[in-house]
Amino acid sequence: MEGSPTAPAVLCRAVTKSYVSGPTKVMALRGVDLEVRLGELLMLVGPSGCGKTTLISVVAGILDHDEGECRVFQEDLRAMGRNSKTLFRGKNVGFVFQAFNLLPTLTALENVSIPLLLRGFKKTEAQSRALEMLTRVGLADRLQSLPAQLSGGQAQRVAIARALVHRPRLIVCDEPTSALDADTGHKVLEVFRETALAEDRALIIVTHDNRIFNFADRIARMEDGRIVSVEAQVAH
Amino acid sequence: MYAIALKMLIGDRGKYLGIIMGLTFASLLITQQSSIFTGLMTRTYGAISDLAQPDIWVMDPKVQFIDDIKPLQDTELFRIRSVPGVAWAVPLYKGLLKARLEDGNYQICSVLGLDDTTLIGGPPVMLAGSLSDLRQQDAIIVNDVGANTRLVKPSPVPGGLPVPLRIGDTLEINDHRAVVVGICRVSRTFQSQPVVYTTYSRATTFAPRERKLLSFVLVKAQAGLDPQTLTRRIREQTGLAAHTSQEFKDLTYDYFMKYTGIPINFGIAVGLGFIIGTAIAGQTFYNFTLENIRYFGTLKAMGATNGILLRMILLQALLVGSLGYGLGVGGASLFGYLLGGTELSFRLTRELLVFAGTAIGLIIILSALISIRKVMTLEPAIVFKG
Repeated sequence: MEGSPTAPAVLCRAVTKSYVSGPTKVMALRGVDLEVRLGELLMLVGPSGCGKTTLISVVAGILDHDEGECRVFQEDLRAMGRNSKTLFRGKNVGFVFQAFNLLPTLTALENVSIPLLLRGFKKTEAQSRALEMLTRVGLADRLQSLPAQLSGGQAQRVAIARALVHRPRLIVCDEPTSALDADTGHKVLEVFRETALAEDRALIIVTHDNRIFNFADRIARMEDGRIVSVEAQVAH
Repeated sequence: MYAIALKMLIGDRGKYLGIIMGLTFASLLITQQSSIFTGLMTRTYGAISDLAQPDIWVMDPKVQFIDDIKPLQDTELFRIRSVPGVAWAVPLYKGLLKARLEDGNYQICSVLGLDDTTLIGGPPVMLAGSLSDLRQQDAIIVNDVGANTRLVKPSPVPGGLPVPLRIGDTLEINDHRAVVVGICRVSRTFQSQPVVYTTYSRATTFAPRERKLLSFVLVKAQAGLDPQTLTRRIREQTGLAAHTSQEFKDLTYDYFMKYTGIPINFGIAVGLGFIIGTAIAGQTFYNFTLENIRYFGTLKAMGATNGILLRMILLQALLVGSLGYGLGVGGASLFGYLLGGTELSFRLTRELLVFAGTAIGLIIILSALISIRKVMTLEPAIVFKG
């Protein structure tokens, strides 16, 4: 399971994916090549419908591609059984969603504990680590708040804490700032860079929001199911 | 994760209460209607239950249930007494006779004529007077429900409340004078007519003249002899039907099950409770799952296996099922308790609790299955859909 130190976190070669809707077949990915390195924050940008979400779904192991090769930490997820893949995700992948997807009836502390509980941690241990993570994202005073009692920025920080609490090696984020105003989006990305980036971890952020491009190490542009360019960012 | 499953359910207060309401309604309806059915069916053999002393009832072979009287000749009593193993055998008259009340109205009464010597077959509980008072001239004992309802006397004051029948009051049964010497309590009967006890000889005087008046012969088996063996002997030697008390109850019960519309009527009510309960609880539970599908998908994406999600849904179903069942059974019990002293027949047995529990179990399994199927086949990629 552990990759070699030089191996990329994610390696996709000629990945295709199509959706069939009635008589129509839509090609969402048309031979994507992508490499995401450990320790880097890669932003995936492009117009709506270009295949960004499909690509991160494939990379995160929640969707199987049709053809090509996609390895995450050198594991071919498509070849795994359903349960093995679920357990792989639980251990190695953290998710941050556009709409946060925090369970509305659970407090911030409980929401952040979930990935640890799923990995078999005892409740007290899980909550202790969740508390630590919420403190790191600046929400030590909102532990018992329900998602509905949090602002957009706070909710996204809870979602970030949830994505990081079990120390996954790959974090995928889908439009993490689209529901936030510019300032809050900026702060959320700062939190992200401070807490999420590490030598042994890779981040992929899908976004339309050009105000946060400067947080990326590299930016991959997608068009019509293909990656058309990958640019390195010089400074943050 | 189980605590999280429960918080997911309970946190959605509206749905949570809706599911419980549906299950409570189903549980209440199933338990209440089944209990009324059982109570009603118990009444069909109430007269047999009240006669605890005899082991065996002997009757015409064509008799189908307790009120289906096909009288025997009095001489049959002696033939039965001669069967080896019979400790004692006494006659019992049972018939519906017309009583004329003080206000001139007539009331049909169920009259039981007991063996003059032993008075075997008397009422289980005497509220006033004593069974031996039946040996007085024209004596009868009336059950309390009859005395307080259908046999009441008109008020002495115009517009006043009717007066219950008491010791010393008289009736006319088939134009024969009858004096109340006691008030008793008996099991309620199916037809709910007043029950009148008297001696066998007096009952046969009250009854219209017929060649045969012996309704049943009550038999006690000698100590150590299996009543089943004795019933077989009586059948073989006399050609009459002989049933143990339980067999006679079963015969009566089966008759009402087979030849009356009672089971189907109650069956429909119970079935409706089941269907409506399934519809309400199933629909609400399914809606709850649908509304939470994004969160189930999120859990799946974060590493929740189908096994964990299955157990979470089953736990949620178990919780609402237990609460709905408990509240429904509690409501039905309260209903039975509050209406205990009325004409309502209500008998909640342990078997009915199991029956209602099984029905509710089925409802929640059906409801949960629909949700489970949805969650099991859920693609976690749904979490990235807007």
